[in-house]
Amino acid sequence: MAGVERPGSATRWGFLSPLARGQYAALAWIQTRMFLNGLRTRRGSVELGARILTFFVFSAIAIGPSIGLGIGAYIGVSHGLRLAPAVLLWVLFLAWQFFAALAPALAGQNPELSHLLRYPVSFGTWLVLFLVYGLAAPSTLIGLLWATAIGIGITVARPDLFLWTALTLALFVFFNLLLSRMILAWIERWLAQRRTREIVTAIFLFLALGAQALNPAFHQSGHGSLYGIGRQKPLHLPSRVWNVQKVFPPGLATDSIFQAMQHHPLKGAEDMGWLGVYVLGAGGLLALRLRSESRGENLSEAPRRSTKARAKVRSPALLDFSGPIAAVIEKDLRYLMRSGPMLYNLAAPLVMAVVFGGAMRGNRVSSIRLEYALPIGLVWAFLGLTRLICNNLGAEGDGIQFFFLSPTPMRTVILGKNFFHLVLFLLEAVLISALVIFRFGLPAPSIAAATLAWLLFAIPANFAAGNLLSINMPYRVNMARIRRESGALGNGLLSMLTQFGILAVGAAVIAPCGLLGHNWWATPILLALAVAALFVYLRVLGNVDRMIHFRMESLTLEIMKTN
Amino acid sequence: MDSPAIAIRDLTRRFGTFTAVDNVTLDVAPGQFFGFLGPNGAGKSTTIKMMTGLLAPTSGHIELLGLDFATHPLEIKRQIGVVPEGLALFGRLTASEYLRFVGRMYGLGRDTTNSRTEELLDFMNLADEPKKLVTDFSHGMQKKLALAAAVIHGPRILFLDEPFEGVDAIAAGTLKAMLQRMTERGATIFLTSHVLEIVERLCSHVAIIHQGRLVANGSLDELRAGVAASTAGVPGELVRGGGSLSGPQPEEKLTLEELFLRIVSGAGSETPEEPVQELSWLA
Repeated sequence: MAGVERPGSATRWGFLSPLARGQYAALAWIQTRMFLNGLRTRRGSVELGARILTFFVFSAIAIGPSIGLGIGAYIGVSHGLRLAPAVLLWVLFLAWQFFAALAPALAGQNPELSHLLRYPVSFGTWLVLFLVYGLAAPSTLIGLLWATAIGIGITVARPDLFLWTALTLALFVFFNLLLSRMILAWIERWLAQRRTREIVTAIFLFLALGAQALNPAFHQSGHGSLYGIGRQKPLHLPSRVWNVQKVFPPGLATDSIFQAMQHHPLKGAEDMGWLGVYVLGAGGLLALRLRSESRGENLSEAPRRSTKARAKVRSPALLDFSGPIAAVIEKDLRYLMRSGPMLYNLAAPLVMAVVFGGAMRGNRVSSIRLEYALPIGLVWAFLGLTRLICNNLGAEGDGIQFFFLSPTPMRTVILGKNFFHLVLFLLEAVLISALVIFRFGLPAPSIAAATLAWLLFAIPANFAAGNLLSINMPYRVNMARIRRESGALGNGLLSMLTQFGILAVGAAVIAPCGLLGHNWWATPILLALAVAALFVYLRVLGNVDRMIHFRMESLTLEIMKTN
Repeated sequence: MDSPAIAIRDLTRRFGTFTAVDNVTLDVAPGQFFGFLGPNGAGKSTTIKMMTGLLAPTSGHIELLGLDFATHPLEIKRQIGVVPEGLALFGRLTASEYLRFVGRMYGLGRDTTNSRTEELLDFMNLADEPKKLVTDFSHGMQKKLALAAAVIHGPRILFLDEPFEGVDAIAAGTLKAMLQRMTERGATIFLTSHVLEIVERLCSHVAIIHQGRLVANGSLDELRAGVAASTAGVPGELVRGGGSLSGPQPEEKLTLEELFLRIVSGAGSETPEEPVQELSWLA
């Protein structure tokens, strides 16, 4: 029995055991091979290009603020301003979690490791792999860069604090890493099943409505603007707020560094100890979630087998009209209603609209910028649908073959999907418009007309580009998980570029007209562009069957592949 | 012979320099239960994919029910049913939702779709768990559902890629009964399977593909005659070319498995008689 260890023999299962080390090496090797083999294809090269471009984009997003954070930390520490590092660490903490929450839009966050379940991978190894694979997430990279910048700023101001700062920030970074992973893993779990999904949705709606109701009241009560801190008054926080924030990780990290500055290492160590407790808490909750996953939990929506008499088979029709288009819409609607991640994706722009809506109003943004709140809100509404529109076959899985076997032309299938996505967009647009109008009031008629004309251009343009991307760069979507998907980056990047292009066209028309004081001119120009976009959309739709005929094999392979 | 339900001529499919299917010519008469056999990687699934429109042939001609696939793909698809290798199921629908979806995609009216859905779910014993998603079905249940979806529109030709793999004996019995009833009513069934006993019991005609080439085609008796002839050194042919096979009648009645092994080992490099290498490290 050479080479095979039987149960009961002295196999070590720790995450540093020889077996685990062999597994890490094997995974590293297979990842390298997959990467190199992927480069042989055009798609693989596009993915690499997209990866490099994404890296630069995120680096650009991260580098500017990191310089500011570093300088802020230097000034704060060198002048003994305790508030400055506290604010910076809070910014880091919130930004990290914000970018992690945007995970689906950023092509996933947590890695999909369920395929490793068939191998003898211990839980410790599983956990290590989960964290290591997740290091490449944009939120982690941005967070690490910002934390490094803060660390450099503090160290330049006080070189003697280098070790202490490094240790504290390392603990703080580790906490953020665990927390973002933990939150997403639990959200994914809650969204996976209908009952928990409904509870989470209800809590979210309650909090969102509560925030909407409280925010204006807060502003009217003369408490001043929370968002305006630092602009209208010198940096000052009430001592109660200061004391409360001190018990949270950013406050603990700040306090630990300042205690060390004031030569109170024991008090600093105590803060660090409490920070360690937070790390253990976040890690524990993450481990709890991953433990279930590593045991192969089934998050399906299937009810337990019923012992009752056979229930009536027919389930009610969602849409009471026949025909393939209605069938496609009904199927996609059922898929959407059963997919937590998809619903999360759709809800994300609304959540952000609530958050930014409050921030913009609180910040007393200039009236010129507020005039454009409606078009900006509608651009935002497209974001939640980008993945659906630009990869509209990705969720079909094995079912993609059915479309190719059925006598329904693919043009009809795609038309049904476009129609469904249009309805979703309109729903989202109405909600966001209502929110924008509620927060900022009605826009000028000329701006409203230009926005409507831009929408008439943007919708067919989006669907035309989306259909092309769906056919030429599809990737398989896992409807049940918020996970990084192979091949999503290239498609995601091009779909984002498309969105920016469509936005840029609108801005290039509306902004000059506004500057010239003739807002009404934008409407006919955009309507002319809308006619052109509709023509392009119809051309693309008319060619769908021909394009799919030539790409049927690769489409089937991409969408049916398991890993 | 009536005009064939399936007529393929010089069908070829190449993937780069590799030829998966090489000049295959085949006729299947209406109402025939036709078995399409071959070792792993022989080209069975590729052939079925080309015959059902899932894969474009490199060259050759496919005609189903007298219609050219290249020019009438949708008319043909309306009249055929397919259970492909990947089953083509939508995992996040329930069985009844899936069947109703399929019925509507084939242009059936709502009432017809609903009544056939209930009938099929009952027949396939899938009606017990109406809320269970397809993705949570066992492999056997998924197979039954895929078969139900393939017949909901009453196809005149049914293509089945390994329909009995992973299906329990009771379900296999149900499926066999249904398929036999379909052929009695005039439907043509084109089936690939590795379970040769089932093929022998069900199929009236068999073709064997090996390394992309058709190496045998005919009724079981015709194949037996061909094998006997080639064993006796009498010139005979295994692939029917419009006429009947020549050669002496077989004295012994070979099973399909024996026929298959002899034909495949005679046609290619595989030699089943060769002893399996000992894998000393296995338990």
